[in-house]
Amino acid sequence: MQYKDYYKIMGLSRDASQDEIKRAYRKLARKYHPDVSKDPDGEAKFKELGEAYEVLKDPEKRAAYNQLGENLKSGQDFRPPPDWDEGFEFKGGGFTGGDTSDYSDFFEQLFGRTEFQSSNTGRHYGDHVRGQDSHAKIHIDLEDSYSGATRNISISTPEMNAQGQLQVKHRSLNIKIPKGIKQGQHIKLAGQGSPSSGSGQAGDLFLEIVFNNHPLYRVSETDVYLDLPVTPWEAALGAKIKVPTPESVVELKIPPNSRQGTKLRLAGRGLPAKTAGDFYVVLQIVLPPATTEQAKAVYQNMQQTLDFNPRQSMGI
Amino acid sequence: MNSHDLLLIHTGTIIEEDSLTLGQLCRACGVHADWVISLVEEGIIEPEGKEIHCWHFSGVNLVRVRSALRLQRDLGVNLAGIGLVFDLMDELENLRGRLNITGDTHNMRY
Repeated sequence: MQYKDYYKIMGLSRDASQDEIKRAYRKLARKYHPDVSKDPDGEAKFKELGEAYEVLKDPEKRAAYNQLGENLKSGQDFRPPPDWDEGFEFKGGGFTGGDTSDYSDFFEQLFGRTEFQSSNTGRHYGDHVRGQDSHAKIHIDLEDSYSGATRNISISTPEMNAQGQLQVKHRSLNIKIPKGIKQGQHIKLAGQGSPSSGSGQAGDLFLEIVFNNHPLYRVSETDVYLDLPVTPWEAALGAKIKVPTPESVVELKIPPNSRQGTKLRLAGRGLPAKTAGDFYVVLQIVLPPATTEQAKAVYQNMQQTLDFNPRQSMGI
Repeated sequence: MNSHDLLLIHTGTIIEEDSLTLGQLCRACGVHADWVISLVEEGIIEPEGKEIHCWHFSGVNLVRVRSALRLQRDLGVNLAGIGLVFDLMDELENLRGRLNITGDTHNMRY
């Protein structure tokens, strides 16, 4: 078991006042809350923070924790001395208010999970009440939505065993990804949620679709965007060029005098949803480097031949 | 036939726009109808349909309702604050998207 430095997690010194602890928690909670934060580690940091606050906000738990010693470092291997909690009465005493199922082994070892069942569910179902609905995210590639796919996901659900103890059960499911599904849409799998505690029906499982970032394409609702590098002469003179789309390579006509950032629309080639989206090609004009004498000559030729001042509108 | 074909593949149903009733939304999010009604009253989520019994919610609200619940529980944000957080986050999302997608549109028939 690894020692956790709750003060360090909250960015506090060991003599912080209870008010300081509360303020630090509020501030960090806003920063890392998974519903607000874009930090990829936000969720993990938020859980860690919640655990630290759970201990430090409670003067009794905090005193017991402090007693473990200041010389321990975060991550250090650690066993609590057998009588470490002597004189403290929080075990089963109802101090743990939050949902402790996500807390570390360190927390569990010290403060137990005795309150978990009553604090987590807070309600008692009859024998025939159906199980709770559960939620999970499923990450797919853009191509999966174009062609439809089958994805395997693992889901962990907390379940009560026959002894009334809480256990995390891992299941693996093969899920059919319907063609044309959008980011943020949900797939409902009837009966794949939490089982009923009695003889009732199991709940449903809701899967939220999340698209993986794609190296080439961006998605907005059902429309798909591609930044396409083109040469200055292709943009200026017009051209027929090959363009990749998630389905196939297509030939695209670039109109003469296209400007940087021009968007060309291929109707109906976005996500094949009920109403198919469009595919947009955004032109990115790339200048050839003037590294050889010939290249320099071409640029000099342009300079002499073209009367072109891109800063005209600035009046200079 | 390879071994893959022997595995069970689950086919779910897509939750289409405005397809959830108040009851289904509450059950799916594990919340009371009162809470969802107060979110609607605050304008945080918007159902189709005028009367409560013909309300229909779109699938994105599965995320919104649960997110609102966590914001209230974890950060102590009240309903007006939740509305504000969502509005600002939508705007942020919109701006992030526009950073990537700029330029004039020329419609072309392929």
